[in-house]
Amino acid sequence: MKKFLIYLSAFVILSLYFVLTIFILPSEFLMTEQLVPEPSFTAILSETNITLGDSFHLDIVSMNNGDYADIHIVSVAFPDLNIIDDVVKITTYDFTLSPSYISVDDEIGSKYSGGVETTLAQYPSIEAMSRPLKPDVQTHFDLLITPQELGLFNIYVKSIGIPHTSDISHYPYSGFLDHQNEYVSVYSVSVNP
Amino acid sequence: MTISTSKPSETFLKSKSEIIFLIGSILTSLGILLVTVGGSWDITNHLLSKPETFSSPPHALMYSGVAVTLFGVVLSFIGWKNLQKFKTSYFLSLKIKLIGIGLLTGAGPFDFIWHSYFGLDGLLSPPHFTLITGMFLCSIGGMVGISRYLKFHNSKSVSKHLLILAVIPVWLSASGIISSLSLPFSSTDFFQFNPEPTFAFIVASLAYPFLISFSLFMVFRLSNYQFGLVSILGGLFLLIYSSTAIVPNFAMIDTVQFYSLNLIPFVIADVFLKLSRSKLSLFFSGGLIGSVFYMVYYPYVMYTYNEILLGKLVSPSLIYFVYFELIETVLLYTLIPSIVMGVLAVIISAKIAKKILIT
Repeated sequence: MKKFLIYLSAFVILSLYFVLTIFILPSEFLMTEQLVPEPSFTAILSETNITLGDSFHLDIVSMNNGDYADIHIVSVAFPDLNIIDDVVKITTYDFTLSPSYISVDDEIGSKYSGGVETTLAQYPSIEAMSRPLKPDVQTHFDLLITPQELGLFNIYVKSIGIPHTSDISHYPYSGFLDHQNEYVSVYSVSVNP
Repeated sequence: MTISTSKPSETFLKSKSEIIFLIGSILTSLGILLVTVGGSWDITNHLLSKPETFSSPPHALMYSGVAVTLFGVVLSFIGWKNLQKFKTSYFLSLKIKLIGIGLLTGAGPFDFIWHSYFGLDGLLSPPHFTLITGMFLCSIGGMVGISRYLKFHNSKSVSKHLLILAVIPVWLSASGIISSLSLPFSSTDFFQFNPEPTFAFIVASLAYPFLISFSLFMVFRLSNYQFGLVSILGGLFLLIYSSTAIVPNFAMIDTVQFYSLNLIPFVIADVFLKLSRSKLSLFFSGGLIGSVFYMVYYPYVMYTYNEILLGKLVSPSLIYFVYFELIETVLLYTLIPSIVMGVLAVIISAKIAKKILIT
């Protein structure tokens, strides 16, 4: 009888264990709110008109205004270049990971999917990354750019927070779409003879 | 003068040789335990992108572990060399430890050269695999040495708690091998060593359940069926895993309550084995322990299944969301194979325990 009671109790406890771990607790945890990082940035061009051979600065200050971000990315792309070479130099950089240089035809993530959907890069870019980034912490990414051709020199800037859990987990929220099908702010400098 | 001092020390060594061998085996197992705990903590730090330095706490723990293991193997050798009896019986333990420590210490310079040529490596790389294999062999050597000592001396139940220390490093280092072959943490700029997702799925679904059941049944059999050791060993594994893989990630701290529930199947298996050692009881306990592998290996096992079932980007704060999203599907696919592997481990552990105990 004593053995029977022990077995019975054990089976009841085991059943409770399986119900709790497979059904009840997972649904409880899945209902908790996910973190929503909210990246933003301000980018300032030192000049909007330069003479060929001169340089200009692009100073970017980015911030996470939302929840803790596992990864905070600021991407600066150069649609008028095929290769970054000596055209762009980083002057200030305080992100936690080293900058990542992306070349034309590299496989890159798209549509804010974090690499689940991919595409091929049509122009080069530099990605600055902090892992993680707490709320209200500023990061700086300044560039010295020396265009080598006449005309309009365009720069695309965007910031993405991961986990990308909402439409405010990227910045800008709307506007021009880049080769990754993600929104960018466009900055232009006229390069004159 | 030299002769007169060396004689008493030789006599001392000969009279205490078996104890020295035992201490060597204990230190070998303890050292590997430190290395595995440091390794698990280091993986978590990498996932959280915490700054990596040569003397970070997980690294310091790993280096100390290697030093303790090396000292343990040296002591084992000294003890074995001076043994008056059981010399042949302890040789297997020593041989395995020597091969293991050779790989373990050789992995250090190999890793340095690898880093110099190819930069940072992932979880699976030739030097890392050498290291983990060395750890596994040293832990096996320690387990054989401790088990045989306890057997030859008909040790009392209190001493049998040493078997916990003998088996836990085997469990943890074997987990490291399985993780290397199944987790997608091994892609670098130079090499794509990530296991093929289907292969990883199969390895994780079969090897983890087998290992849990095998480890718990080994301690049960090596201790001559002592009640309580299965629960203590299982509990210790959960404690180590939770403190190195869950607690360091602030986003997952709330899930410790979920993880701690996994003690229940271990305690129930222990109780069943105390009540009866019939085949039915043994197989039921093995199957039960095997079936809970997805919960016991929370959270990282999720990465393996995510690769093939969801393909989501999993950043540290999303780990438990993806894990819980997958739990029912994974169990649907793996429940039967995991039970079978748990039962198979019961059978194989009996044969191996017999060989270790020379019965």
